[in-house]
Amino acid sequence: MTIRILLVDDHPIVRQGLRTLLQGRGDWVVVGEASDGAEAVDKVETLHPDVVVLDVTMPKMNGLEACRLIQQKHRNSSPEVLFVTQHDSPQMMREALDAGARGYVVKSNAARDLLEAVESVSQHRVFTALAQGPEVSK
Amino acid sequence: MKLRILLADDHEIVRRGLCSLLLKHEGWEVCGEASDGREAVEMAKRLKPDVIIVDIGMPSLNGLDTTRQLMQYDPQFKIIVLTITDSDQVIREALDAGARGFVLKSDAARDLVSAVEALQSKRMFFTPRVNDLVLAGFLDKGHVVSRNEPPSLPTLTVREREITQLLAEGKSSKEVASLLNLSTKTVETHRSNIMRKLSLHSIRDLVVYAIKNNIIQIQMPTQISAPETTAV
Repeated sequence: MTIRILLVDDHPIVRQGLRTLLQGRGDWVVVGEASDGAEAVDKVETLHPDVVVLDVTMPKMNGLEACRLIQQKHRNSSPEVLFVTQHDSPQMMREALDAGARGYVVKSNAARDLLEAVESVSQHRVFTALAQGPEVSK
Repeated sequence: MKLRILLADDHEIVRRGLCSLLLKHEGWEVCGEASDGREAVEMAKRLKPDVIIVDIGMPSLNGLDTTRQLMQYDPQFKIIVLTITDSDQVIREALDAGARGFVLKSDAARDLVSAVEALQSKRMFFTPRVNDLVLAGFLDKGHVVSRNEPPSLPTLTVREREITQLLAEGKSSKEVASLLNLSTKTVETHRSNIMRKLSLHSIRDLVVYAIKNNIIQIQMPTQISAPETTAV
């Protein structure tokens, strides 16, 4: 099944790394990239991705605000949001899920978790994994 | 013969991005990847890469101390430091440590290839701000000196900096000893010397010192504003 993915991170090198990891799945397409939360919200409007891979800490608008806004604007047709972040924190993860995200993985384990996380959230299943602490929750 | 590059960054996702960028250049190969400074030093000694790209903020042994150890082992190593900050202190330390390239992570996609090309041609590469500092004539015998800087702090030895980082990361003396193949007693002696040199009185003080002096980096939590509530 084709999954259309929007990548959002303020570091181009991280977006490139995410692209490289996602290339492994030929049926997935990266439809666009954004470097801050505001741009992400705009691109969701124009590109209609299935999954938004979103960083938390970004200039102009952080990922949590962007996630809330995306949920607000698109209600029933909102893309699924997967956070890929440096914040290895249960509290941040809870806030992300409260903001409407379906997934949360930590950058240090992105190479291990990303593909499974995208697969899960695209099927509307929760996927969370912190580097330290509780085991992966799917 | 291909230019051999060693990458050192604790995030695989960043290493993948760097690899992808560098391998577009015919004639370059990534001969190894390290996920912390200690591994980077071991791999560099074994693989003898032409260029080493080192992230500043790595666990166990940070990028600046990795650079120092590598330059101590072989002053011919060509090292590019990758950093999220271009503060005066970090710039000064990177140059003092012997780095020949200095690239901001946020600009790596734009600057890294140029940086590697520069080092390949035996030139140096710095972000524009560092270039400005150098051109403004603040270089003094190879050291970048800021006129407004306070007097320099007591200098720790390479080993002492290594131990400072590990202790500040929360390791016990026994764990540090095991990691560095030292006796616990030796680590305790180094610890006492460090605390005395720096006039510190607790591990908490040591952590603060390590953060202020870029020996460890901490991640600041994002300020989260609560969503506006709407009246029902």
